[in-house]
Amino acid sequence: MAMRNIIEIQNLNKIYDTGAIQVHALKDVNLTIQEGEYVAIMGKSGSGKSTLMNILGCLDRPTSGSYVLDGIDVAKENPKQISYIRNQKIGFVFQSFNLIPRTSALKNVELPMIYGRVPAKERLERAKELLEKVGLGDRLHHMPNEISGGQKQRIAVARALANRPAILLADEPTGNLDTPSSVEVMNLFTQLNQEGVTVIVVTHEDDIAAFTNRIIRFQDGQMIEDKRRGEHADF
Amino acid sequence: MLIFENIKLALSSIRVNKMRSFLTMLGMIIGISSVIAIVSLGDTMRSAIAKEYENVGSTLGYLYINSPDGYYTDDYLFTADDKELVQEAFGDRLTYVGFNSSSKATMKNGRVVKEGNLMGLSENPSEYKKLNIIKGKLFSNLDVENARPFVILEEKDAMELFGSVDVVGRSIRTVIGSETKELTVTGVYRNQDSALMKLLSGSNNNRFTAYVPETLIFPKGSSAWTLYFCVNPAYDVNEVGNQVARYVAKIKNKDISQVMFYSAQQEMGTIDSMMSGLSAVVGAIAAISLVVGGIGIMNIMLVSVTERTREIGIRKALGARTQDILSQFLIESAIISAAGGAVGTALGIGVVAIGGMFVDMAVVVKPQVVILAVAFSAMVGIFFGLYPAAKAAKADPIEALRYE
Ligand SMILES: Nc1ncnc2c1ncn2[C@@H]1O[C@H](COP(=O)(O)OP(=O)(O)O)[C@@H](O)[C@H]1O
Ligand SMILES: [Mg+2]
Repeated sequence: MAMRNIIEIQNLNKIYDTGAIQVHALKDVNLTIQEGEYVAIMGKSGSGKSTLMNILGCLDRPTSGSYVLDGIDVAKENPKQISYIRNQKIGFVFQSFNLIPRTSALKNVELPMIYGRVPAKERLERAKELLEKVGLGDRLHHMPNEISGGQKQRIAVARALANRPAILLADEPTGNLDTPSSVEVMNLFTQLNQEGVTVIVVTHEDDIAAFTNRIIRFQDGQMIEDKRRGEHADF
Repeated sequence: MLIFENIKLALSSIRVNKMRSFLTMLGMIIGISSVIAIVSLGDTMRSAIAKEYENVGSTLGYLYINSPDGYYTDDYLFTADDKELVQEAFGDRLTYVGFNSSSKATMKNGRVVKEGNLMGLSENPSEYKKLNIIKGKLFSNLDVENARPFVILEEKDAMELFGSVDVVGRSIRTVIGSETKELTVTGVYRNQDSALMKLLSGSNNNRFTAYVPETLIFPKGSSAWTLYFCVNPAYDVNEVGNQVARYVAKIKNKDISQVMFYSAQQEMGTIDSMMSGLSAVVGAIAAISLVVGGIGIMNIMLVSVTERTREIGIRKALGARTQDILSQFLIESAIISAAGGAVGTALGIGVVAIGGMFVDMAVVVKPQVVILAVAFSAMVGIFFGLYPAAKAAKADPIEALRYE
């Protein structure tokens, strides 16, 4: 696999200024992730994992430092281009699924393609194809409240993949799932990674992290560990 | 902008929240339906009045002499001699000159007795009164000159008095004041006034309205306040009317400023501008009601935006642009508002149609009023949707995603 840097982060800091107190959520983070990697980000609650994911997903901007995604220096982009990056480069999977309520599985998966101005016919075909891929070919017209958590998360994964993003970001994707569903979703990530998708998963469970090939650990906003499969006894 | 997708989105959102959408529309429905009803009612009245004047003839004029001190002597009034002078002086420029005289009378045929009014018609009666004669014919000029005892009855009165409309040639005993005359029926007419006009003219079903030669109820030596005339359509009514006024001033030895001349055209203009003024006032009230409706829409859209904060966050995370979100909510409020406008339009037309049925009138609904109403209500929706939509579009995705 070509060793191209898909994510380059240098001296990244994020400070939340809530008026009375300042929270230094990320401290001088330096991180490079290559195309095709399968990364777990671990750490205790409040260690800055979500803050990092939000910056990686272009939902938030760092206080200082640089973030280059797929060759684009994100800090230099205007809001319209940021929307374009979110739409085309990033697939986001959330802990709480975040499907649009009262909207069918198919429509949910079509959504990123609607914002990507993909023609209706092509959109529908791709959405069906993706739902089949995640094993929900028979649930196309189900509403989010008619299906299980594991199925919801698989719809969310299908939706994240709609525009063939450069990276798939998942912030505690198994946090609201039982073990069998968690394993299903992680197997799906593994399969996608084997097909070439760069996957970054936040988790605080070791057995979830064990699916990945690289573990990055955070503590109090700092990267304290970065190990790859084969560098450690567990791997 | 994703117009088509956002329209579909708005429709499904309206469908999901049927009751709330309906309540939101209610303000617009009430506002627009009252606008349509009132404007259409105005247009209907205006066209009814215009038609009425068409019947009377736009050639009609009348004049009277004003006394400066409010004290009237015989020389302020018109006599048959004055009429003849005017007729001679103006020749073919005037097609009709008369007094529009009327007299209360009682008709008797056997045991059937009916009270009503006799209306006097002068020479060339068809120039003055467009009667729909269904039996017999109008009076000739000789009938008028010789004050022949002829009468034209209304269809319904003929039925009541004789039990038939085939009564031409029959005679009817008629008491006019202290005199009793045997009048010969020479014609039967059908009243074509709309229910509204009957109402306005105060005509009463129990009383008859019959036409007689004017000379019969207005004999030589009588005098009247007002002189009526019809101007030959080849001439201008107001021009000839003013000439008649000058002539009357001369023969009655009065100042021209004392002779008041009015034409049906002028009157119609007055009524028309009165109706327009009324429409403008109603329009202003309607505009206020639409603003109230619009504020209702804004209120609900704000609730909807707040409720859907998380959805907005998801959409932004998936790559929706600011303008995509903006247009989504703008289109939603425009559709709610325009739908309210359309329903209101239908309701307004329905109300006017039902009202029209009661007064037996063809209802006038101008298409441009309908188009304007729907377009205007969509604009109200966009205007009042602007603030909620901007609020949605500005939302920070992380804050929005965290919203419970
Ligand atoms: N919007 C915010 N405003 C202020 N402080 C925040 C905000 N978001 C996160 N934080 C703080 O930043 C730190 C890192 O939070 P987060 O990235 O959510 O941690 P994790 O996802 O690892 O649990 C925490 O101390 C948290 O309280
Ligand atoms: Mg977190």
